[in-house]
Amino acid sequence: METDRRRDSRSWDWDSPQCRAQLDEVFFRPQDYIRAGSQEHREFWTFFERFQRFKGKRDMALSKAGSDALKDESRESKSRKKGAVGSVDLGLPKEYDARYRINVSVCTRDVEERLGGSDRRRQTSSGPGKEEIATCRLTLLHFLDFCQRQSFGKLAKLRREQRSLPIFQYRDRIVELVRTHPVVVVAGDTGCGKSTQVPQYLLASGFSHIACTQPRRIACISLAKRVSFESLNQYGSKVGYQIRFETTRTPVTKLLFLTEGLLLRQIQQDAELGRYQVLIVDEVHERHLHCDFLLGVLRSLLRQRPDLRLVLMSATINIKLFSSYFHSAPVLQVPGRLFPIQVIYQPIPPEEQPSRSEKLDPRPYLRVLQGIDQRYPRGRGDLLLFLSGVAEISTIQEACQTYATHTRRWIVLPLHSTLSLAQQDKVFDISPPGVRKCIISTNIAETSVTIDGVRFVVDSGKVKEMSFDPKAKMQRLQEFWISRASSEQRKGRAGRTGPGVCYRLYAESDYEAFAPYAVPEIHRVALDSLVLQMKSMGLGDPRSFVFIDPPPAASIQTALTYLKDQGALDSHGELTAIGKLLAQLPVDVVIGKMLVLGSVFSLVEPVLTLAAALSVQSPYLRSAQHNPDCATARQPLYSNQGDPFTLLNTFNTWVQVKAERGGGSRKWCRRRGLEEQRLYEMVNLRRQFKELLKSHGLLEGEQGAPCRQDRRQRQQRFSERRKLHQLKRDHDLQEGMRRKVLRLEEGEEGAASSGSEGEESGRGRRGKDEAGQSVDIQEVKFKLRHSVTELQEAAGASQDLSSRQQALLKLVLCRGLYPQLALPDEHNATRKDSEQIFHTRNKQGVVIHPTSVFASDPEVLHVPEPEPRETGSEKPESSKHQLLAFVTLLETNKPTSATASECPPCRSALLLVSRSVDTNADCTRVVVDGWLELTLSDADSALRSISSALMLRADWERLLQAQLRNSAPSLDPAPPRPPCLAVSYSLRRLGGLEAQNLYVGPQPALGLPDAPALNPLFVGMKAEPHPMKGGLRVSSFFTYNCLSDSKDLYSECMRTFWSCPHCDFYMPLTPLERMHHEATCRPAGELQPKDEPEDGTAASSKSSSSSSSLTRVYHCDVCDKDLTLTSTQILKHKRQHL
Amino acid sequence: MELGGTEGTPRGLFTCELCELTTPFTYYGQKPPNTRAIVLLEECYVMRDPFCPEKEKFLVLGSTCSLCRKTVCVSADCSLFYTKRFCLRCVREHLDQFPPQIQAELRKKKPTEKTSDLASS
Ligand SMILES: [Zn+2]
Ligand SMILES: [Zn+2]
Repeated sequence: METDRRRDSRSWDWDSPQCRAQLDEVFFRPQDYIRAGSQEHREFWTFFERFQRFKGKRDMALSKAGSDALKDESRESKSRKKGAVGSVDLGLPKEYDARYRINVSVCTRDVEERLGGSDRRRQTSSGPGKEEIATCRLTLLHFLDFCQRQSFGKLAKLRREQRSLPIFQYRDRIVELVRTHPVVVVAGDTGCGKSTQVPQYLLASGFSHIACTQPRRIACISLAKRVSFESLNQYGSKVGYQIRFETTRTPVTKLLFLTEGLLLRQIQQDAELGRYQVLIVDEVHERHLHCDFLLGVLRSLLRQRPDLRLVLMSATINIKLFSSYFHSAPVLQVPGRLFPIQVIYQPIPPEEQPSRSEKLDPRPYLRVLQGIDQRYPRGRGDLLLFLSGVAEISTIQEACQTYATHTRRWIVLPLHSTLSLAQQDKVFDISPPGVRKCIISTNIAETSVTIDGVRFVVDSGKVKEMSFDPKAKMQRLQEFWISRASSEQRKGRAGRTGPGVCYRLYAESDYEAFAPYAVPEIHRVALDSLVLQMKSMGLGDPRSFVFIDPPPAASIQTALTYLKDQGALDSHGELTAIGKLLAQLPVDVVIGKMLVLGSVFSLVEPVLTLAAALSVQSPYLRSAQHNPDCATARQPLYSNQGDPFTLLNTFNTWVQVKAERGGGSRKWCRRRGLEEQRLYEMVNLRRQFKELLKSHGLLEGEQGAPCRQDRRQRQQRFSERRKLHQLKRDHDLQEGMRRKVLRLEEGEEGAASSGSEGEESGRGRRGKDEAGQSVDIQEVKFKLRHSVTELQEAAGASQDLSSRQQALLKLVLCRGLYPQLALPDEHNATRKDSEQIFHTRNKQGVVIHPTSVFASDPEVLHVPEPEPRETGSEKPESSKHQLLAFVTLLETNKPTSATASECPPCRSALLLVSRSVDTNADCTRVVVDGWLELTLSDADSALRSISSALMLRADWERLLQAQLRNSAPSLDPAPPRPPCLAVSYSLRRLGGLEAQNLYVGPQPALGLPDAPALNPLFVGMKAEPHPMKGGLRVSSFFTYNCLSDSKDLYSECMRTFWSCPHCDFYMPLTPLERMHHEATCRPAGELQPKDEPEDGTAASSKSSSSSSSLTRVYHCDVCDKDLTLTSTQILKHKRQHL
Repeated sequence: MELGGTEGTPRGLFTCELCELTTPFTYYGQKPPNTRAIVLLEECYVMRDPFCPEKEKFLVLGSTCSLCRKTVCVSADCSLFYTKRFCLRCVREHLDQFPPQIQAELRKKKPTEKTSDLASS
């Protein structure tokens, strides 16, 4: 047949593109089902070649067996006749043809007729003849049939898998329960399929507007992908997800996966949550802070929304608690699908127990590996080992790697959240035959990460958890015994793919003594953000809110106090203007404060970056720290101003690299031991912050940037974006399809990765593997979301700061971080680098986190040798004392402060940010917040500096309040200048006894002759005796002359002659009078703030004249009048006549 | 990115009477929408191909057995098309009328209607 065709049309060549193109015109026109040039069209021609080869072979085989077939046929026809006697004749064709099995036909009569006509005219032309067309049509039919079979096969497999899940049997029951009950609890263990199936059951039975919350962002994405695939909506948007930076939600989305935190934010905006009909809260047993809170909010929401349906999904842990919290909601318990697991208790013998300071003894762990090798020499099945922390992991990893190198039967892989994502991802790769993976993990693998193929589990029984000390306001990372619930969870990891073994390195009696459940997060963490959110949601007194498991009252109290100190709540516990704003920002209060301050003081760009940097994990990989190459490459990024500034530098430089080299930034990051993912997170977060500030009127919108582009540029950008979108789609399609096979050496590289060599080479190899087929998807997403030019401008703006702006930026940072300050120990200069210690208000002997810049270069913090100046005191006086402002204080063995920043010229900074400033009579001794003491020997400069700081602070407050009130940026906010006074002083932490006997205490109104009638220095503040400290409260934070060492209570006697630097005023004044003069007498040329309220409350010289005791009678020679004026007014008056 | 409008509204649920495979269908007949020159040789239950990014591709789910009128899916375990649709039970009953190629195929296939549960998720 084929040879015939060849003969007939000598010039026809199936492989020639021209010939194929002619057939394309018949079958694959633009209006056809398959269009020329499409993916399917390419697949068709590939199929064509295969099909023709197959047909050729079959034809040959047939002609050989031709005679046999004939005999068969005759026998067949006989039997067929016989069969027809008893039953209906199906009327099937006599001769078999595979074409009869295809239920599709293709009508191309119109084209053929047209062609047929031309065919006769061009007999000798090379156009396709009837036969070519027939061949092509037949192949097309087979191709269509093949495609149908392929897709249907996928569908059938999918349905089969769904039906085999344990939860499938409960499908109707679940739907029924949800229809009839406002709250339903579905409890089922890992593998029962609840997370993927329950939303689908509800969707299929007609519910829409379903939201399903997850504790983790990554789960939102993967579940949305899986469920949209399973519900046959892979390419639609019926199922979507929404996380912090991205959403796939559209108006037709019926099922949305989102994080708990995000749902809470939505409730904040729409208290009724009208957009949802069903809420599914998944993994409630994990008891995350947000989840516990969400349950409380939903519980009260149900009263307003009786139509709302709530489904709680949980592992089979403490189910009663959830059911009873929701008024005995019905519980549906689904058995998990676990294979039997053998539990072996192998308590660690006393001689191998680690003592407090020592490293973990690896022997008990090695014995398990050896045991597995002996007992199960063949077969697959990986080992998962649970340890408490990163240090423990690297100790055991090292020992196991030695064993693995020796036996060549194991690949040892660590797993914890501080690893790079690429390294984390390795645990999912496949080991070569005969080799098992040994994954050494923190409790991240208990619920967050599921690794299939694990058949052995080793459980150390320990976990390191964060706990919060509300008194010291400090986080502690401590090691605990795990709960029975998580012990069972760990065990269960061995039985997901087959029967398994769980080795518990503790005694059965230990197990029985474990707490039944882990301590919920709400009992372990600081509640600042939670309480702030509760306030903004109008939930009343947080102390009386009905939590599923109420947090300790002390934690709530600490949070309330903290929020008051931060100015987010007023004295009645109500939200302030800034508090309202802070509650809208999905960040820590500290970060929120910085953002607000940054925008008020026109430092938006650098502050956005700083805030983003402090909100994500550090991009600096710890593993790369001891790598000398990385250290050298990192050096230029380090800032001696502290970690936040190092991060700022890093980010700005990275943006520059991205602008110049695009995807080349990946390599740039690798060289420096930076996790690029974190920088991408930063750039996303930064943008989110910017939008938040804009929507709250703290930042102007873009000044019509798009208008500047001309049409060509716009088109260029448009087509570039289209290309990027295509890249992203392609990537999404092939994502997760491939798993790599690990090499035996993989673990060895990993073990060496305390100095990231392993990572470097490992990832380098991967990069090469992927180079051909995959794009850097992060780079694609980055380009889709951000304009590099815009970022470059922003980076430029935050890099070229004037020294004034730099100082202001530090102040903003400091004010944000306040009161998280630490003072270096006075003997640090004589200590080794690693032994530098610091003291905070509540904690002595803090060390710096090993990743901090100050840890590697602590000299930056040393007070330079004091100038040999006789000061009369033994304490060193200097103008360059350093204070650390820190983001978190973390206690391990020693308290460690992470991410430290140098506090700017500290005296002024302290005076500008602190909650209370107390002085003695001549202001030479200043106590800040009751624990930091500053002493100055020179009374004159002491007074000058405190006075200027107070004035500056008043300006700050006025500006801030004005901004918040108007909620619109004024055109020129005229940022106040930070004082740059080089005043020498000494700085120390007060001892306990000193701190207790700090104040003189309330005084009967003796002395202080000026006091009763003193002018308000600050808006709305009346100077009056402080009821507790004694002395005179001049402003909300400043109390004058209340320190108990005050030499002289009669400040009348403190009058000294003073001349004002701005006017020619010269008079004997008390310190307070002098401050007042300075507050009202501005240097010529400096404008009074324009937005000063004219209602008379301001400390303006005009309105305060009559009540002031500083007024005196002045005779003006020009006017020839006696005037009662203050000294400043006198000056103003004089100027009139000039 | 939105394909919502063209996904087609389900006209009902298709369920195979042999294997119980259930899925919504959007069209029943011989000429699914957007198929141009393509015609089906039987009345079929059809949906948009969910595994294909292009929105105009169709997927035949099943049809009616020409003998017993049972609704069956197109899986080789449930039915067979040979000029007409036959459920596998009917094929077995009338096996002698089918050509030897098909007879051989069916003999190889053990009558396992219960498909093994080898789910992985
Ligand atoms: Zn079927
Ligand atoms: Zn039938």
